[in-house]
Amino acid sequence: MLRIDSATKRFGDAPALTDCSFAVPRGRMVGFLGPNGAGKTTAMRAIFALVELDAGEVLWNGCPIGFSERLRFGYMPEERGLYPRMPVGEQVAYFGRLHGLSAVAARTAARRWLERLDLADREAANVDELSHGNQQRAQLAAALVHEPDLLVLDEPFAGLDPLAVQTLADVLHDEARRGAAVLFSSHQLDLVEGICEAVVIIDHGRVVATGDVDDLRRRSQHRLIALQLAGAPPGWLPATPGVELVERRNGTLRLAANRDVDPERVLAAAEEAGDVIHFSYGPPSLGELFLELVTR
Amino acid sequence: MSGRRTITLIAWREIRERLRSRVFLYSTLLMLVLVGAAGALPAFIDTTKTYEVAVVAPAPPGLAAALNRAATPLDARVRLDAYPATAARERLKADKVDAVLDLRGDRIAFRESIDPKLGAIVDNAIRVVRGHVRPAPELTPVTIEKVTTSSTDAEVLTAMLGASLLLGTIAVYGQWVLTGVVEEKANRVVEVIVAAVRPRHLLAGKVIGIGLLGLAQVALIGGLTAILLAAGLFDAPTSLGGSVALLVPWFALGFALYAVAYAAAGAIASRTQDASSAGMPVTYTLLAAFFLGYIVLSVDASSGLAHLLTIFPLTAPLVLPARSALVGVPAWEHALALVVVLATIYALVRLAGRVYGAGLLRSGPRLDVRAAIRLARHP
Repeated sequence: MLRIDSATKRFGDAPALTDCSFAVPRGRMVGFLGPNGAGKTTAMRAIFALVELDAGEVLWNGCPIGFSERLRFGYMPEERGLYPRMPVGEQVAYFGRLHGLSAVAARTAARRWLERLDLADREAANVDELSHGNQQRAQLAAALVHEPDLLVLDEPFAGLDPLAVQTLADVLHDEARRGAAVLFSSHQLDLVEGICEAVVIIDHGRVVATGDVDDLRRRSQHRLIALQLAGAPPGWLPATPGVELVERRNGTLRLAANRDVDPERVLAAAEEAGDVIHFSYGPPSLGELFLELVTR
Repeated sequence: MSGRRTITLIAWREIRERLRSRVFLYSTLLMLVLVGAAGALPAFIDTTKTYEVAVVAPAPPGLAAALNRAATPLDARVRLDAYPATAARERLKADKVDAVLDLRGDRIAFRESIDPKLGAIVDNAIRVVRGHVRPAPELTPVTIEKVTTSSTDAEVLTAMLGASLLLGTIAVYGQWVLTGVVEEKANRVVEVIVAAVRPRHLLAGKVIGIGLLGLAQVALIGGLTAILLAAGLFDAPTSLGGSVALLVPWFALGFALYAVAYAAAGAIASRTQDASSAGMPVTYTLLAAFFLGYIVLSVDASSGLAHLLTIFPLTAPLVLPARSALVGVPAWEHALALVVVLATIYALVRLAGRVYGAGLLRSGPRLDVRAAIRLARHP
């Protein structure tokens, strides 16, 4: 299990991480969310000692991380890094060997991953001859080739087409099922909600929420109500206390209600005002939760 | 994973990448062709040498013809003129003739060094004229001036070309290290690598890989030259082959010294555009070492300053092989230079290794040297 414990880092006067703690257990896929500049990349780089923390520590199975542990980690940085004039297959195998694989094992694993990621026909091409999406796949293969115990991916979905997104999501699922701890950052909240069970949300270098996506949604102080009415007076809103308008679009009202508000009362008020065509009530989506948490 | 295995992997990658680009292959081939051509050149041009010989009058009849008959198989011609003894001697002193033949004293006099080829030609001719077939030489070769230690053209040329080859290869392969480091930094691949590899192993692998290529090139060129020299294909003393062979180990030492500095310079630059300006201090040091050595050796290769530059670590790799070709370098000086240079490499690897490690992960504007050293002390 990866544990980041009270990590603190300042760049000059700017705090990048403040007392930041969270964990990624093996076999789990954890989405790492936060607005731009929240400290996600700094936290990920700290795992690989690419930034030195001012305070706090990064632990793997309870122990500080050294080079021998990091050989069992896989990392895909946000700014992709591969040798531009080196053939893809050779390059992926090279990273495998740097992580301790034998020459034969590295070649076999490289070929397997390139096939899995639909890059097998580009094995002999230099990296700089590949499209952006294919370079991303090659980078992913380089992070995965040695079957890492921990996989850290910074914005792995950025710039991928929907098909590639699906392939990558499947790969990450399989890696977690194999027993790897998977941590990846993303801005695509719908996607994260769809593919991972747990998230860490970070804002201004502090963890503002961490845990199961469903739990977090349920624990939110708000519930969302979507309501479509026919024949209601224009500008109608339920007079129920604790209910606020989020937006009104295409005849649908989206309302935020405090958790203790009884939805039946809102529904009853709506039925008095007109014919209810649609009524839904539930915890906020991950995206709504994210906005709620990071804009406070 | 062991450090040695990591370093080997990294060095191999460097070698494979450079070989893929073919610059190495073509430049090596070109230089080998040039050396080979220089060796083959004398076969294509008329190298017949004409000797001017003064004979103390009177000259025996048939001597001039006998001289030229003896000279022909040795690719030479002899022009003979008779002078009174004092006039002949004056002409030799003034370097107007190559030798003076004094048959009354059975002597052949040269100015300051004996030319064995001319000696043999004249001796053979005299035997023919006198009708002798005895084994002992007819003539005693003598010189009229003390031998000075000035170097021959071949020695100067060997020293000059050898030092230039070292300067060129150290600069070119050093630049490869520099740009390699900056490129790795600029395209961020370094982050993926140092996540799993210690920076000093990355540095060592890179320097060793590129250095081996340079060593191969110098060994091929130096080796071919040394073989051609030893085979007598060049018009030069065969002993110069040893000085040429010295280029190989001294390339390794000089390269190690300067390449580590180039790597540190590369690590404090962030963008490829900064690479050459970052490497400037190292390049200037290398050039200064070359020109200082060149000037001091051309003035007097045996001066105290020349001795000093032979063992001073920054100049030793360029000066030692050159001085060895010019005037020879005693064994103790070889040993001392080796120890001093190795100690400097060790110290530099430690310092530059830390600058490299600290600079690698830093992006943004280029650091100045002082800031880089501060960073190395307190990363």
